[in-house]
Amino acid sequence: MTTSSPSDRPAGFGRRAFLMAGAATFAAGPALLAAAPALAAPQIGQPAPAFTARDSNGQTQSLSALKGKVVVLEWTNHDCPFVRKHYGAGNMQKLQAEAKSQGVVWLTVASSAPGEQGAVDGATANGLTASRKAMPAAVLLDPDGKIGRAYGAQVTPHMYVIGKDGTLLYMGGIDSIASTRADDIEKAQPYLRDAMLAAVKGEPVKTAVTRPYGCTIKYMGT
Amino acid sequence: MRTGARQAGQSRGRGQGAPAGRRAFAGAGLLAAFVLAAACGPAKAQESAAVTSPRAGVTLVADAAQVVPGQQVRIGLRQKLAPGWHTYWTNPGDAGTPPEIALTLPEGANAGEIAWPGPDRFAVGPVMSFGYAREVVFPIAVTVPGRLRPGDTFTVEADASWLVCEKECIPEAGRFTLALPVAAQAAPPAPGIAAAFAATDARRPIILDWRARLAAEGGSITLTVEGDGITPERIADAFFYPQAWGVITHAAPQALEVTPGRLTLVAEKGQTFDPTAAHGGLIAVTDPAGATRWIEVAPAAASAAARPAGFADPAGAAAERLPLARAILFAFLGGLILNLMPCVFPVLAIKATALARLSGQDLKAVRLSGMFYTVGVLAAFLALAGALLAMRAAGAAVGWGFQFQSPVFVAATAWLMLAIGLNLSGVFEVGTSLTGAGHHLAHAPSHKGSFFTGLLAVVVATPCTAPFMGAAIGSALAAPVPVALCVFAAMGLGLAAPYALIAFAPRLARLLPRPGLWMVRLRQGLAFPMYATAAWLVWVLTRQAGELGVMIALAGGVLVALAAWIYGVAQHGRGRGLVPRALALAAVAGTIALLPQLRAAAAPGAAPEATAGTERFSAARLADLRREGRPVFVNMTAAWCITCLVNERTALSTGAAKAAFRDKGVVYLKGDWTNQDPEITAFLRAFGRDGLPFYALYPKGGGDPVVLPPVLTEARLVEALSRAAH
Repeated sequence: MTTSSPSDRPAGFGRRAFLMAGAATFAAGPALLAAAPALAAPQIGQPAPAFTARDSNGQTQSLSALKGKVVVLEWTNHDCPFVRKHYGAGNMQKLQAEAKSQGVVWLTVASSAPGEQGAVDGATANGLTASRKAMPAAVLLDPDGKIGRAYGAQVTPHMYVIGKDGTLLYMGGIDSIASTRADDIEKAQPYLRDAMLAAVKGEPVKTAVTRPYGCTIKYMGT
Repeated sequence: MRTGARQAGQSRGRGQGAPAGRRAFAGAGLLAAFVLAAACGPAKAQESAAVTSPRAGVTLVADAAQVVPGQQVRIGLRQKLAPGWHTYWTNPGDAGTPPEIALTLPEGANAGEIAWPGPDRFAVGPVMSFGYAREVVFPIAVTVPGRLRPGDTFTVEADASWLVCEKECIPEAGRFTLALPVAAQAAPPAPGIAAAFAATDARRPIILDWRARLAAEGGSITLTVEGDGITPERIADAFFYPQAWGVITHAAPQALEVTPGRLTLVAEKGQTFDPTAAHGGLIAVTDPAGATRWIEVAPAAASAAARPAGFADPAGAAAERLPLARAILFAFLGGLILNLMPCVFPVLAIKATALARLSGQDLKAVRLSGMFYTVGVLAAFLALAGALLAMRAAGAAVGWGFQFQSPVFVAATAWLMLAIGLNLSGVFEVGTSLTGAGHHLAHAPSHKGSFFTGLLAVVVATPCTAPFMGAAIGSALAAPVPVALCVFAAMGLGLAAPYALIAFAPRLARLLPRPGLWMVRLRQGLAFPMYATAAWLVWVLTRQAGELGVMIALAGGVLVALAAWIYGVAQHGRGRGLVPRALALAAVAGTIALLPQLRAAAAPGAAPEATAGTERFSAARLADLRREGRPVFVNMTAAWCITCLVNERTALSTGAAKAAFRDKGVVYLKGDWTNQDPEITAFLRAFGRDGLPFYALYPKGGGDPVVLPPVLTEARLVEALSRAAH
């Protein structure tokens, strides 16, 4: 699994090393000032950070291979109360089913470090998908947090929509009410759903950045 | 149970049914609460049974053991958290969610919003949260219905949910009931609960007259804050907590720069920053000792920065800003009354002399003299106001009467007063070569003289404020410059009015006695008030510049007298008297040469002495006392403020006043503004004031302070003290 710039899909080693060094310098600057460097969030309208990762079935998934399709990224931690809110009430499954019917590729990403809450191996991930009747296209395993950090994912559930041409169209919360109460789902503005459906139709996403709410992602080294 | 009006303590809505798991959890919590209550017997009235988990012990508390109909009581959700766990501020940062409290109150009761205490930062890896660790109380002000009678019970129920996080997050919820006895008199809560409220109040965001603005450039946002009390020595660290998500990148470090009067924070721009919107929030300012204060700021949007109304509006608190028309009226009245203030004592002599000179003059000359005097007063007011506004703009923490905070100014004024006194005594004359005092007086006073009399009257009279003037000056200094100058001009007209009136009303002018020897005697007699003024100013210097300062001032005084004498001799003698004049000039030059020495002597160490029974004022001490609910009297004074000294003598330090302070347990804090003190300036400006004297009385057990009039009487003070202490 590697993280690299979207423009160098045939990932030349020298270029990638250069970019990584650049990223390291970038991260080290603020790190000197504060213990916790901020995540650099990707930009709406710019190419979404490319990634290649192994999923829960041992298959390799890469963003570049999904060109031409709308992609949804869902960061998860199955023990987080905010995640449980949406799986417990069936909201997440409903969205995943809708995505599937619209030809959207829904990728669930687990970025918890091994040993932390939400860390899963392939079998556990598949067990969760089965028991929760979830229907993502795949569950990506990101135990070293590379994809999460590349996307600036902060919480679970943190949601992203990537357009057919690979540009980032939406990032933020699943909806507008930041609570752990399932009965708020109906009252909330469904930001993710609105963005996903707009992306499918090729319409502009009205609200492209919202407050992501949830539990902090338990990244490696935190 | 009463059928109650449901009051949401927060605007976030709550659903009808809870999910089964949560209901079970709440049920278990309730059960635990009942068990606890049964085990401990009757629980303390001001703290409900607890909902406890391994992470948090949560109760509902009241800041009074008994409540009074029609009055406010603070109801709070108290959370005691296990080490490592935290809960959230209203903007929780990158993750989490703030607690929600829905109060159910008896009919007629009203609840406000949660008064969010200032938060801390919690970083989990690259994710930043804003919230609280260890212990916190989320207070909501509740008004007790007026229809309740002593002996009744005031029952408050709360449905609360909160998220408690370490690395992992657990949502918790509970239902709490608090049955508070109703009584005629309020009673403080148990010490433990008082301490919990006190700890939260230490985090209560404060409102200062700090002006803030936000500007975005590239990927960063610069928050600039200007105000009194901002100095590199006092601010070791600062952090901007925006009220809303998306304004800044929460986890990014904020670069701090502090210069006197100005603080800038550069933060990384947030994902949804809107340059045209206003972004309120808190600035947490930490001093070198590690104590943090949270200051509310409402920075103007970058595009609206030109608007002066972008100030953090202190109107909510004690500050009273007047509408323009009333500010001008008050300014005029204040100027008028200033003529009667003890402060103006030094000017009386000058005015009396000027008036006497009008005697026997033809009307035209009298009028011109009155006009020039008025113009002099106005010019002085505008110049002073202009200087004050300019220094403010440059970031200096100065207030009305600021010129007297400079020992150089005080010494120079003392010498000027001495020189005027010597002139009145007849040691030397100004301008004309002498042919006789009578002749000189019979001449119309020069217009230049009238003008400078006006100037001098203002410079000497302004260190103290009169009734009406305090509020007007406060409004003026907060207003745009042209408005401010209008208000000061009105004040000048007020001060000049009585004299101008005599000059312009021929009948009044005719009432003056005919000229004669009395004028010479009066003039000589009036020299003594001038000497007295000089003596007082030298005394002010003892406070400002110490012994060396007094030495220099007195030496200068001797040189001034020498110069005056030599100059007078030259005027009396025949010939041009060039040599004596040169000698006089040399003496004056020597005097002026002393001034830089004085500046050097005005080192610190001139600490104001604390009189018996009083404590030195500091904002921190005041906050501490307020937290304890003690009644506090704040006296802002200065050695150069004569009205202050008169009040001190006639009202504040009389036997009856001292006894009242002692008996009522009112703490007396005294702030000395003789020298510059940004803390005092900030305190005054929080009340919309910029001058002295200033007296504020904080009632027992909380509540808004009362501002006492600038002219105090013993009876009035004692009455106010007993009211404040109930």
